[in-house]
Amino acid sequence: MIATTAFIKLARAQASAFGQPDLPIAVIPHPLGTRSRAEVRELAEKHVADIVALVCQAGAK
Amino acid sequence: MSVSQKDRSGLVEVVDDIEAINALYRERQWGDGLPVIPPTRERVERMLAGTQRAHDEVVAEVAPGFGVATVQQIAVNAVLAGCEASHMPVLIAAVEAISAPEFNLQAVSTTTNAATAWVIVNGPVAQKLGMNSGLNCLGQGNWANATIGRAVHLIMQNIGHALPGEMDRATQGQPGKFTFCCSENEAASPWMPLHVERGFKSEQSTVTVVGASGTLNMLCHEKDAMDLLRVIADSMIYPASNDYWCGGAPWLVLGPEHADILHLAGLSKADVKALLWEKTKMQASRRSIKDLARTRDARSAELGEIGLDTLLPISPTPDEIGILVAGGPGTHSVYVPTFGNTRSVTRVIEL
Repeated sequence: MIATTAFIKLARAQASAFGQPDLPIAVIPHPLGTRSRAEVRELAEKHVADIVALVCQAGAK
Repeated sequence: MSVSQKDRSGLVEVVDDIEAINALYRERQWGDGLPVIPPTRERVERMLAGTQRAHDEVVAEVAPGFGVATVQQIAVNAVLAGCEASHMPVLIAAVEAISAPEFNLQAVSTTTNAATAWVIVNGPVAQKLGMNSGLNCLGQGNWANATIGRAVHLIMQNIGHALPGEMDRATQGQPGKFTFCCSENEAASPWMPLHVERGFKSEQSTVTVVGASGTLNMLCHEKDAMDLLRVIADSMIYPASNDYWCGGAPWLVLGPEHADILHLAGLSKADVKALLWEKTKMQASRRSIKDLARTRDARSAELGEIGLDTLLPISPTPDEIGILVAGGPGTHSVYVPTFGNTRSVTRVIEL
């Protein structure tokens, strides 16, 4: 799961609601809605490796 | 499951003292900030007498926490809100409606927008329950309007886990998040009631839920229908609207006097929607640069290339503008903008 800083509480509660309280959450700076597509792409490219590692780590458990 | 979520259902033994019980509700965030009626076994039993549905029947799983709304859990929240047993069928239909996928409760409850569920009751049950569809119908003072709307919001919070500041991320919220409920003034409306417009029989009763962002009062003394529509349309247009962002489904509560002016000019409800849809088109450049970029992302498939001069419709189709006739004497109507990415849902009340 990926959430911006403003939505960490929601992300954590949502994960719990679906029975995955320990789900790793990748946190990115808020807000996302006012970033341009290019900025979002840049952000995604910068962090994609970390997020993939997070998912793989969760999957390996 | 977190402790706070685990503690949100089941039996709790407490001292029989209303202040102590309300203190417990405050501590555990089981209320809405106003005093509640303690849902004792006896009160919940009396509430359950208002429905023939099985107590353990699952009505819906309520987003965003997807708590299970059984008939009994609905009754518990009905007691908390001060409802009467006769309100139960309305509440069950309302829970079915907010849980329909097109209402998008997941987003309505968790968005930073002020959106919440506006509950509209149509049909004979509204009169039977003594609901207010006239003067001050969106205000205080009517027991059924106030407590039914309150119970729906307590259900969204206590069963759906949309706790303010937690999963409910509303930046400011709105007073309608305490209660937001009325019926249609069918007797004073020159047109067919909302539920009949949606294919139900006039003798049926229904609940309609709208993902409403708030209310804007519109005063207009005009007697000419086209000029009245021009002013209403101008009032519906604002650049920071969620409806223009993604193509929404905004609502109007037309006062009976305004509705009569439109009707006497020969306009049907569909005509009014079509005219408003044309007149509410907004030049795309009125949105901020960032928000116009979001509109392009959301609406290019619907509208094609969106330039600064593109006229943005408020909703994808004219019929998605909702119209309710309610209120008493006076030259006022109310604009109800919505979250945008939500559609109103109507469900039959099974009596």
